[in-house]
Amino acid sequence: MRSKAGLVLAVAVALALLPQVAPTLAAPRTFKIAVVSDVGGRGDLSFNDMAFKGGEDAERDFGVRMVELVSKVEADYVPNLTRAARDPDVQLIVGVGFLLSDALAQVARRFPDKNFVGIDTFAQSIVKEKFSAQYPLPNLMDIVYEEHKGSALVGALGALLAAHYAKPHIGGVFGIEIPVLWKFEIGYKWGARWATEWLAKNRADKAFTYRKDFVLWTYTGTFSDIPKGYAAAKAMYAKNAVAVYNIAGPLGLGINQAVQEIAQSQKLRMGPPFWIGVDANQDWINPGFVIASMMKRVDRGVYYATRWVRDGQFRDLVRRTQGVVTLGIGTRIAGQLAEGISVSTLDDLDEFIRMGVQAERLTRKKVLPASPAEIKSKVKTMREAQPRWVWEAVADLEKKIREGQVTVPMVVTKPDIERWRGELGYRPGRFFAAAYRSPRR
Amino acid sequence: MRTPRALRPLIESLATVALGLVAGGLLIWAFGHSPVAAYRALAVGAFGTREDLLETLAFATPLMLTALTFAVGVRGGLFNIGAEGQMYLGAVGATFVAGMVPMPAGVHLAAATLAGMLAGALWALIPAVLKAWRGAHEVISTIMCNWIALHLSMYLAINFLAEPGRAERTVPALPTARYPVLSEESTLTAVVFVAVAFALLVYAYLWGTRAGYELRLAGENPDAARYAGVRPERVVVLSFVIGGLAAGLAGASQVIGRPPAWSLYATLGNVTTLGFDGIGVALVGRNHPVGGILAAVLFGALAKGGRLMEYEVGVLSELVRALNGIIVLAMAVPELWNLVGRRLGR
Repeated sequence: MRSKAGLVLAVAVALALLPQVAPTLAAPRTFKIAVVSDVGGRGDLSFNDMAFKGGEDAERDFGVRMVELVSKVEADYVPNLTRAARDPDVQLIVGVGFLLSDALAQVARRFPDKNFVGIDTFAQSIVKEKFSAQYPLPNLMDIVYEEHKGSALVGALGALLAAHYAKPHIGGVFGIEIPVLWKFEIGYKWGARWATEWLAKNRADKAFTYRKDFVLWTYTGTFSDIPKGYAAAKAMYAKNAVAVYNIAGPLGLGINQAVQEIAQSQKLRMGPPFWIGVDANQDWINPGFVIASMMKRVDRGVYYATRWVRDGQFRDLVRRTQGVVTLGIGTRIAGQLAEGISVSTLDDLDEFIRMGVQAERLTRKKVLPASPAEIKSKVKTMREAQPRWVWEAVADLEKKIREGQVTVPMVVTKPDIERWRGELGYRPGRFFAAAYRSPRR
Repeated sequence: MRTPRALRPLIESLATVALGLVAGGLLIWAFGHSPVAAYRALAVGAFGTREDLLETLAFATPLMLTALTFAVGVRGGLFNIGAEGQMYLGAVGATFVAGMVPMPAGVHLAAATLAGMLAGALWALIPAVLKAWRGAHEVISTIMCNWIALHLSMYLAINFLAEPGRAERTVPALPTARYPVLSEESTLTAVVFVAVAFALLVYAYLWGTRAGYELRLAGENPDAARYAGVRPERVVVLSFVIGGLAAGLAGASQVIGRPPAWSLYATLGNVTTLGFDGIGVALVGRNHPVGGILAAVLFGALAKGGRLMEYEVGVLSELVRALNGIIVLAMAVPELWNLVGRRLGR
């Protein structure tokens, strides 16, 4: 009660003291989309920034208006989604990131007239588990990505670089061992093996046979402890790995630190050693040393979803897909190409440098390691310094995947992961202990 | 006209709320928004519909408990700022019993609640013992314990309580250990009644029992208390344990009393800062258990209503947070004034 009284009092005082600002007139009914971030929020240079970018692209192309709701704590997810759903103009509510899965499942049930999309979520499977009578919810769509295919491309890229530079290994630093990461792991190893077969056929002079210890890999058990990424990567580079794939989010900064140490001690301006980015285009973080990134185009997901809602296809799509839409390489949705996985290119870089510039403005912290022009020229130089056949082979694999000539295994179950590890390399190295015991320069 | 003594703190608090809102309004105005529209959105967002009101109460629930932790400390002459860490351990304790120890319905919910409260109280015993028998200043020891609790809780959550296949959080509370959701339209559960009941119980204890009187006496005037035969160690331990129980319950409430996750995030993201926020709430509530309940509702309203203010008026989320801070500062003024006066007067 007292807070109400306080509010009344304050409003009265404010009215007396301040010149009136004209309240904004209610605009004519617009098609609004709402993007609800996870706790990473604006400026994460990854999932959330990409989702907002997708919303901006949709604003530009479809004339919709985007409203942004940034979640500060986990308890904000439900109220933020609810807030957006209660706006009569909002037709589509996007929840960014798997952390919002529970909240999406709950709120979507309460607002059957609104359309909900989760990026990288598993909200429908929560509905199936908890409210099986309502499964699949007709107004809820999970958009997921074919990470195994993208991982195969960068696995091939790594193996081709190993052939070119005559290095014995490539590496992968993983987060906590959850089934989602198995998709990355087996895709990466499968791509590396594919590259050895390609070499045997096309570049016999560089060919080598795939060994089960060719891919070094470590599950660090964390998605936040950056020093563990450093320790794991350091051990891999000590074994002369040509490139290390980051599959642990922020641990990429630890991998980068390991690369940076080598670069400084040997006065390198460019890799090898390289590392490989994930999710967003991370090539700008250390230009010249990030050979490429496996991109999950969150922005595309938001963009497509908006289009499907605008064109009235959304519910039909949900019905036909049980509410789970997969974007990847060569994926077609409703008869149209809708892709969401790619290896970063030089052209993608501009968008992400812009994102970095925006983040710098937002956080008032230095984000970009150099000026945009300098970053771009360094990345360009690095890419051109690699032989053309390396890039051509990766493009060849992408084409074969797109046309269905090869199938990248998608591994999400225990028996499958056992079988594929048996085939492509079983034992994870104990790099940690080694790295701590004998620090090497 | 004379105002009755009991109403004075209420009036003081109300005046400072108004002062804080005016100052916040100036800030909103300086950034080119209409303070009137912003505050209208704030009020509507917090209390506009039944659903908003319930969600406001859901945000208020843990705050009234962590406020109690600080308030009981101050009443006993202590600056217990360890609610944050005690709350983490409470969440961990509740998660363990609720998610991993199957029990019959009814018993399970009570056991999980008690486990959270006891874990919070046990953690509070560390600074209590250090203070009572070693004279270690509780501000230092509780801050240190907060950090230890943070990392300990994350370690336990990731390594022992994690749900296989879901790296981001712990096992969810089993259905038998969940407080009933009061209405589908909000995340408020029956745990709010437990929180209010606990606050009232502490009020009855402090103002209605001999031990409670001794605790308050030691806080008001330690010398007089000692002269009267009150054992200071007892008061220190008692006020820490009560505070720890409250903080532990606050942590538990976010696991077994808050949908949709019903679990603790591995980063502790769904509980962090609730303990620190409680300090501001306690100051506004004049370190009184009942005042704390009212102040918690106000803070819950800011958290909930600020959302609509951002959404409708476009007040940046950072500005919403600054506004929270200004109101807290303004509202803390009378209590700080009293504290400083008491310290200087001694």
